[in-house]
Amino acid sequence: MKQKKVKIELKNLTKKFGNKVVLDNINLKIYEGELFAILGPSGTGKSTLLRVLVGIEDADSGSVIVDGKDVTDLPPNKRNIAMVFQSYALYPNMDVFGNIAFPLKIARMDKQEIEKKVNTAAKLLGISEILKSSINKISGGQKQRVALARALVRKPALFLLDEPFSNLDARVRFTAREELKKLRDNLGSTFIYVTHDQRETSNITTRVGVLNKGKFEQIDSFENLYNTPSTTWVADFIGNFPMSFISKSKDELIGFRPEWAVAGKGSMTAKLVTNELSGNINYWMCETKDGHMITLVGNMPLKVGTEIHFKLKKYNIYKNDTFVKQVNVK
Amino acid sequence: MKRKTRNKYLLYVVASVVAIIFIYPLYILFLVSFSPTRYTLDELFPSQLLSHITLANFISALTQYNFVAPMFKSLEVAFLVGALTLAVAIPAAYGLSKMNKRLANLIVVFLFMANLVPALVIAIPISAEFIKAGLFDSVIALALAQSLFTMPLATFIILGAFRAIPKDIENQARVDGMGVLRTLYTLLTPLAKAGIAVAFLLSWLTSWDEFTFAVILSPLKPTLPVIVYINITEGSLVQAAAFAAVISIPVIVLTVILQKYIKGVYLSGGLTG
Repeated sequence: MKQKKVKIELKNLTKKFGNKVVLDNINLKIYEGELFAILGPSGTGKSTLLRVLVGIEDADSGSVIVDGKDVTDLPPNKRNIAMVFQSYALYPNMDVFGNIAFPLKIARMDKQEIEKKVNTAAKLLGISEILKSSINKISGGQKQRVALARALVRKPALFLLDEPFSNLDARVRFTAREELKKLRDNLGSTFIYVTHDQRETSNITTRVGVLNKGKFEQIDSFENLYNTPSTTWVADFIGNFPMSFISKSKDELIGFRPEWAVAGKGSMTAKLVTNELSGNINYWMCETKDGHMITLVGNMPLKVGTEIHFKLKKYNIYKNDTFVKQVNVK
Repeated sequence: MKRKTRNKYLLYVVASVVAIIFIYPLYILFLVSFSPTRYTLDELFPSQLLSHITLANFISALTQYNFVAPMFKSLEVAFLVGALTLAVAIPAAYGLSKMNKRLANLIVVFLFMANLVPALVIAIPISAEFIKAGLFDSVIALALAQSLFTMPLATFIILGAFRAIPKDIENQARVDGMGVLRTLYTLLTPLAKAGIAVAFLLSWLTSWDEFTFAVILSPLKPTLPVIVYINITEGSLVQAAAFAAVISIPVIVLTVILQKYIKGVYLSGGLTG
């Protein structure tokens, strides 16, 4: 396989607010053309990480390297990184055209060139019709496109997006995700975005970094995060249901996803606590004898308290909360 | 529902009472300046209504006294005070808006220190220094002195306006390639223009009817409020009233023009938002 080019590299990046460590010695390499998601619960430093990358916040130590160049001490305008804020941060005193043209005007590009670039960007994002509109008169989805257009006219080295989908209606959100992927494919650029919602990372990303308390617990494809979470914390965080755990020995746990278990037969038992309908599928939330909560796929709701037998087709072994191996049962 | 309408009427009643209290002196001022003296000052219980209109008071006031020079001096000083105040208050407010909020609020309180002491206490040492510097009776000296009082309030108002602008807009401007100063003057200042307009208006008005500094720092080439004072001390009350009416007119006009900007938001914004 061809060696991929490193687009951005973070080395020992640390950021503190007072005594609180927000980013704890982060090391990360993101390659050219990636659509990389930073996923984590709120308050884990996701947005701070983006802000440090773009240069709005200074890191306390460590370095940020873009295209092989150390940009740690450069101001945001010298880093060639574009960022789309969660609020989109459109300039309210300018129309759509003015907003998109703004970075080019700052760069003192000539008028015709600006017009050409703005039109190209607007066409790419399907907002050519609203170029003359006021910012206050366009929808949330359009605002996001304007913000994206403004980011991409500069031809930046990479794009950072802070919670790009959180301000959109649930219905638009789904298509917006696909469009982001399409945009990445069209431009071939590198995108990094931050989200707290794992559903926004599952289909479109190349890799996902799971951030917890200022540290990446695991950086991998979403599929691997789901199947082989590196820690019990990730196993708990990823998936519609947290991974179910049962004790194996004093410091070892067996973890499994609902669909890895076969209910109805087998030697293990658990008592039904609630029936949970997710989409079309019924899940049994059960409690094992030693007090673990587990989730099984069940074809129908059953009476609470029913004893359910189950066996595992596949499971992961965790020792001291860390992944050891995956076991397939023949 | 019923209670709501009753509250509304009550609000109108209270507002009317307050308005009458504030407008009554102004009304009397105009009444005196537009009436012949025998209907107003010469009577023991003058009529509260305008019965005879005359411009004689204005004509005698404007012809007997040099009106033009003081008016221009007042205008020059007022605009200079507005400009000086904004030139200092905009960057000051921007700096404060970047600071820790508690510390910034504390500093704003200290800025108002100058307003706590009587103007006279400040005016005397200042005028001594200005005489030494050869600035006595000059426009710039008076404007500088008056700015002492206008700058704190202007800074406070503009700080509120800056704080109301979402932080991300400024961050975005920096990401888009703007430096700090350009962000301030080409992006944030237009966005805060309502607050800045209010600050300018209040500074202008403060200077326009400011008396203490004016009479001490600029007695030989006086401003309009000083002329009014001279008239009153000389006993020509009617002319004083006419002058006072003339002084009030630009104030009323400016306030009406700029009233859409004068929202509670910009006056309280310094402590909220």
